[in-house]
Amino acid sequence: MIRALIIDDELHAREEMEALLAETGIIETVGSCGNAIDALKLINRLNPEVIFLDIQMPVLNGFEMLNMVHPDIMPQVVFVTAYDQYSLKAFEEKTLDYLLKPVDSDRLAKTIAKLQQTIVEQRPPKYEAEEIVRIPCLLGNRIKLIGMPEVEYITTGPAGVHVVTEDQEYFTEVTLKALEERSPLLRCHKQYLINIDSICEIILHEGGLAKIQTHSGKIIPVSRRYLKVIKRKLFL
Amino acid sequence: MDLLTFSLHNIFALLQQMSIILVIAYLFTKSPFFRSFHIHTLHKKQLVSLYLVFSVFSILGTYFGLRIYDAIANTRAIGAVLAGIIGGPWLGLAVGLTSGIHRYFLGGFTALSCALSTTVEGTCGGLVHLYLVRTFQKHRLLSPAVAFLTTMVAECLQMIIILLLSEPFDQAVALVRIIALPMILSNSAGAAIFVSIIRDQRKMHDDLGVTFSAKALKMAEKTVAILGQGFTMDTTKKVASVIREETGVGAVAITDKEKVLAFVGLGSDHHLIGGKISSSETMKAIKEDRTVYADGGEKKWSCNLSDDCPLGSILCVPLRVDNELIGTINLLEPKDKLFLVTNKSLGEGITKLLSDQILYSRYIEQKDLLTKSELRLAQAQVNPHFLFNALNTIIAIIRKDANRARDLLMHLSNFFRKNLKHTGDLATIEDELNHIHSYLVIEKARFEDKLQLEMDIDPSLLALRVPVFTLQPIVENAIKHGISNIIGPGLIRLSIQRQSDSVRITVEDNAGNFLERSQKGLGMNIVEKRIKNLCGENHGLKITCIPQQSTIITITIPQGGCKGT
Repeated sequence: MIRALIIDDELHAREEMEALLAETGIIETVGSCGNAIDALKLINRLNPEVIFLDIQMPVLNGFEMLNMVHPDIMPQVVFVTAYDQYSLKAFEEKTLDYLLKPVDSDRLAKTIAKLQQTIVEQRPPKYEAEEIVRIPCLLGNRIKLIGMPEVEYITTGPAGVHVVTEDQEYFTEVTLKALEERSPLLRCHKQYLINIDSICEIILHEGGLAKIQTHSGKIIPVSRRYLKVIKRKLFL
Repeated sequence: MDLLTFSLHNIFALLQQMSIILVIAYLFTKSPFFRSFHIHTLHKKQLVSLYLVFSVFSILGTYFGLRIYDAIANTRAIGAVLAGIIGGPWLGLAVGLTSGIHRYFLGGFTALSCALSTTVEGTCGGLVHLYLVRTFQKHRLLSPAVAFLTTMVAECLQMIIILLLSEPFDQAVALVRIIALPMILSNSAGAAIFVSIIRDQRKMHDDLGVTFSAKALKMAEKTVAILGQGFTMDTTKKVASVIREETGVGAVAITDKEKVLAFVGLGSDHHLIGGKISSSETMKAIKEDRTVYADGGEKKWSCNLSDDCPLGSILCVPLRVDNELIGTINLLEPKDKLFLVTNKSLGEGITKLLSDQILYSRYIEQKDLLTKSELRLAQAQVNPHFLFNALNTIIAIIRKDANRARDLLMHLSNFFRKNLKHTGDLATIEDELNHIHSYLVIEKARFEDKLQLEMDIDPSLLALRVPVFTLQPIVENAIKHGISNIIGPGLIRLSIQRQSDSVRITVEDNAGNFLERSQKGLGMNIVEKRIKNLCGENHGLKITCIPQQSTIITITIPQGGCKGT
C-alpha cells in the first residue's frame, strides 16, 4: 500500500478523493487536512509517500506550501485542481502528475500506475522549490506570513520552530533545515538561524565561541563551526 | 467783417478737403489690415502699419491745404492727433515729426512753427492715449468726443506756436486771425468723424460676428444628438430642416455616398428622397473629397432632373467621420438669390460640427457596447471555476446523500438559467436575491461549516429595482477573495436597509482581505459603473476594509430604486 496524504480546503473534495483512492485498493490514506500549515505538520509527522495537493488554498497555496517542505522528506506530489490555468505551471514544476476536479477514476488509475512505477524505480520527487520569502506562522486560527526582512532569527526547541521578530515570537511548521536551504538566513548554531541584517554586534569569547546581539538587543549563541562562515559573510 | 467772411469761406474749403480725407479713411476701414487690427492689442508690426497710414493721411492733409499768405491752412493735424490717440505718444510723435518735417521743406514763413506744432499735436494725442489707458478708460480711445476735444486743444496749441515762432509777428497775427477758426473747427470735426467711421465699421464687424456665431450655436444646439441616433433618412431630414431654417437657404440636401437621404426646401417635388445623387457637383465633392462650390454667377449650377427647377447655386461639403467620408451636406439657393458668403462658411462649419457629433455618438455607442460586453465577460468569468468546484462538491455528496445532491443540481441549473437570462438593465432586488440564493446554497455546500450566512433584508424593499447582476459579483467577491482565503470560519452578512434618503445594500465578510488586493477588480468595477450609469452619479459602491477583520462593500441606490436610462 502506498501511503498518501490529502490536502484540500474543501471537506467534500477531501472525502471524495479519499473514497476514490480507497476504491483503487493500492493507496492508503494516512491523513487529510484543509490548509497548508496542517499539511506541513502532517508531512513532517506522517512522512507520506505521496500527497494529493489542492493548489487553491487559503493564505498559502499548494506551490508555496511545497517550498516549505524539506527535500529529505519531500513526498511525490499530485496536484488536484479545478483551475485549468494552473495545469501548465504544475507540469513545469515537474511534479509527478496533476488531476482536474472533478476527478475521473480512470484518469486517477493512470496517475497511480505512474506513481507505482516511480516508487519501484526509487526515483526521488523532482519538485524544484523556490526561495522562501515569507514564513507562514500560526497565530490563533489565522496564518500570519512573516516577510524575511522582519525576521531577526529563528530557533528550534522541543516545542517546535520559532520565528523571532523585533517584538514578537511566532510558531511555524516549516523546519529549520528547509529554511536554511531556501532562505538567505544563515546557520549560526545547531538550533539557530540568523538574519545577517539584524546583527548588531558579535561578542567573541574564548575557544572560538561567540554571541550575537541583534538590533533589538536579543542575544543568541554562535557555535565554533558556524562562526567562520558568518565572519566570511561579513568580510571580517 | 471781411476777415470773418473769408474765414467762413475757408471753413467750407477745409471741410471740402476734409471730405476727401474721410473718403480715404472710409476706404482704409475696408482694407484687410483694418480687419486684422484690434485697438486694445497692437503689435509692433501693426504699429508700423499705423505709422505709415497716419503719416500718409497727415501729409495728404498738407497737400490738400489752402495757401494763405505764404502759409497753408490744412487738415494735417487729424493724422497726427489720431495716431497719438490710437497708438500712443511714440506713434503720435513719429507721425507728427514725419509730416512736420515734410511741411518744413515746403517752406514759407510758418514752415518751422508748423513743423514743430504738428509734432506737438501728435504728442498731445499720445498724452491723451496715455491718460485714458492709465485711468482704465481704454474704451474711450475711439470716442469721437475725445478726438474732437483733443484735436481742438492741439490746434489751439498750434496757433499759439505760430504766434510765438513765426516772423514777422504782425503777419503771424494776421494769419492766425484768418485760419484759426476754420482750422480748429475742421480738424476737430474731421478727427471726430474719422474716429466714428472706424468705430462704426468695427461695430458692424462685431455685430456680424455675433449674429454669425449665434446662428452657428443655435444650429449646433438644435442638431446635437439628432445624428447620434444614426445617419438615417429620418435623422438627416431633421438636421436638413434645422440647417435650412437657420441659414435661410433655398434648399438643403443630405446624401450618403450614393443616394439622397434628405431633401428639404425648393425643388423637393422632383429632388426625391432615396434617389441616386443627381448633382454632378455633389458627385465631385464625394469623388475628390473636398468642398465644391458653384455660386451661380461665375460657376453655374443647374439641376439635372428638371428644367423648371428654381435652384441655381450649390455648396457641397463632404461629411467625414474619423477621416472616412460618409456623405455630403448640400446647401442650395434659387437662381434669383445670391449665395451668401456667410452661408458658405456656416455650411462648412455645420458639417464639421455634425461629423464631430457623429463621431461622439459612435464613441458613446462603443463605450456602451463595451460595458455590455464587460458584463458578459464578468458573467462568463465566474462560471468555469464556480462550475467545476460545484460539480466536484455535488459528485462527493452523491455518495452520501443523493437527495441533497439532487437539490444542489437544481440550484446549479437555476443559477445558470438566471445568469443566461440576465440581459436587460434592471432587475428587482427580489430577483437578484433569488439569483444569489442558488449561488449561496451551492457555495454553502462546498464550504459547509466554514461558511456562515446572515441575511437582514427589509421585505418592503424587495420590489425596488437595481442594475442587473449587482449582488452576485459582490457576494462572489466576498467568498472568493474573502472567506475562502482564511483558515478559520467565515461569515458573510448581507443587509438591505432603508436610509434617510437612500437604500443601502451591504455585504460584509470577516476576512478583511481587501487591502491586499489594491484594485477593485473587473467585476466590482462593472457593478459600480452600472450603478452610476443607471442610478445616477451620486450613487455607487464603497469599500471599507479593516485588515484581518472585515471587508464591507456598501452600495447605495436611490430611495425609489433605479430608474434606468
